[in-house]
Amino acid sequence: MIEVVNPGRWTTIQDRGRPGRERFGIPPGGAADWFAAAVANRLVGNHLDAAVLECTAAGPSLRFDSERVVAVTGAHAGDIETWVPHVMNRGSTLEVGAIGPGLRTYVAVRGGIDVPIVLGSRSFCQRGAFGGGFGRPLARGDRFAAGAMIDGAPLSNAWPDGHRLSIGSPWEVRVLGGPHADAFDRTALPRLTAVACRVSPELDRMGLRLQTPGVHLQADEILTTPVTGGAVQVTPSGEMIVLLADHPTTGGYPVIATVITADLPLLAQARPGDTVRFRQVDPAEADRARRRLEGWLELDT
Amino acid sequence: MWQIAAAGDRALLVTISSVIEPAVLAQVLSLDRALQERRPHGLISTLTAYGSLLCHYDPAVIERDGLAGEIRAFEGRLDASVPTGSVVAVPVRYEGPDLAEVAAKTNLTAAAVLELHAGREYLVYCIGFAPGFTYCGIVDDRLVLPRLASPRTRVPAGSVGIAGSQTGIYAVESPGGWNLIGRTDMRLFDPAADPPARFKPGDRLRFVPVT
Repeated sequence: MIEVVNPGRWTTIQDRGRPGRERFGIPPGGAADWFAAAVANRLVGNHLDAAVLECTAAGPSLRFDSERVVAVTGAHAGDIETWVPHVMNRGSTLEVGAIGPGLRTYVAVRGGIDVPIVLGSRSFCQRGAFGGGFGRPLARGDRFAAGAMIDGAPLSNAWPDGHRLSIGSPWEVRVLGGPHADAFDRTALPRLTAVACRVSPELDRMGLRLQTPGVHLQADEILTTPVTGGAVQVTPSGEMIVLLADHPTTGGYPVIATVITADLPLLAQARPGDTVRFRQVDPAEADRARRRLEGWLELDT
Repeated sequence: MWQIAAAGDRALLVTISSVIEPAVLAQVLSLDRALQERRPHGLISTLTAYGSLLCHYDPAVIERDGLAGEIRAFEGRLDASVPTGSVVAVPVRYEGPDLAEVAAKTNLTAAAVLELHAGREYLVYCIGFAPGFTYCGIVDDRLVLPRLASPRTRVPAGSVGIAGSQTGIYAVESPGGWNLIGRTDMRLFDPAADPPARFKPGDRLRFVPVT
């Protein structure tokens, strides 16, 4: 078993989420930085569907009552060596500690975190208060077991530097225009991509707000439509909301642009006060960028 | 003409119309059914809301232009009859925190608000926003009001609200900006149930006042 000695600021159990259940109003969920979570699983030899811990801003302390291989990826964390498998000895404690640069750090344990599957996933869904083993973020004294979601041996080396995303502000995030390009005048997206946006303090797994000094985008509300992760919504006051993994499934604000899949991990790591710059790309570049990350995950390192 | 636009690199948004109308919903639901029955290779899942439909697809299997073409092939060839299922009764205690304010803003008595709201059948246009949240329409013209100027941070599960020409039911506790006029004990979302949401788009319901 693994026992939570200190839960950290906001630590939740996440896997690849429950996509396909949006028709019930259920957010897709899953690790906000899908790439770091996948690498953590690869490092310990897990199936990519295995559940990991997503730690936010300040990480947990976890006591292991039997020997276990673990890996910590994503944002920099305390004094732990990240992006490399470690053996936790019986009775030892993993202290993730303060997190940053970046916001979210992932802890994979060999075999995956074994909590019940709810609606196709082990991920905690905050809005519905279900999943994630406890229907809430981890608390002191919680205990959970490692499972059997094993796909191979743990990797013997650190994840190559050249196959990681560089973490730190300013974040350059690529977007495709739309889908509601028609709701804006033609200068709107070029004006947005020309400025530095600042990440507001209100931020969670549903989305982050951006302040865009010097550019005001005018847009009326639209009839409620389905939305996707990475959607950049513009509110009537001109504020920007970028949707993350636990986003509402529908929205009434027009979406000026959508962050490409390959750059969602960057957005998941942005902290309040950080700078985000959007860059518009074409669909071919979005596809290349996504395939590049997927290719890294398939490599034998 | 349907609009089909990329919603990022793994989804397409099909907009059939931007009005709240039973005939539009019927088109959207008909397209949804057609895509389930003759599922294009690489289509992962769909999600509808009012006049639009989102398709999540696997870009390793199908390219966006190919999928857009397959969707476009249904245009003008769908059965667009308005759904006519049985009407579900939703018991409501009309004692919401905004009932008096709604009555004042609409120049009606609270009893008249209740009567107008409970006096008609509604079509479910969308399950969205939060787990099980049920968007229905269309409310009587006399009850059309804007959302609250500042949304509540916590709206309890079961709350029944109105906003614009819509009425809706909060299935789980969430933030919200609708004018709350009542509350139901009916459970609209249960993660252990199959399906987890009580309603789906195209269902019909009626609010029944209870004390």
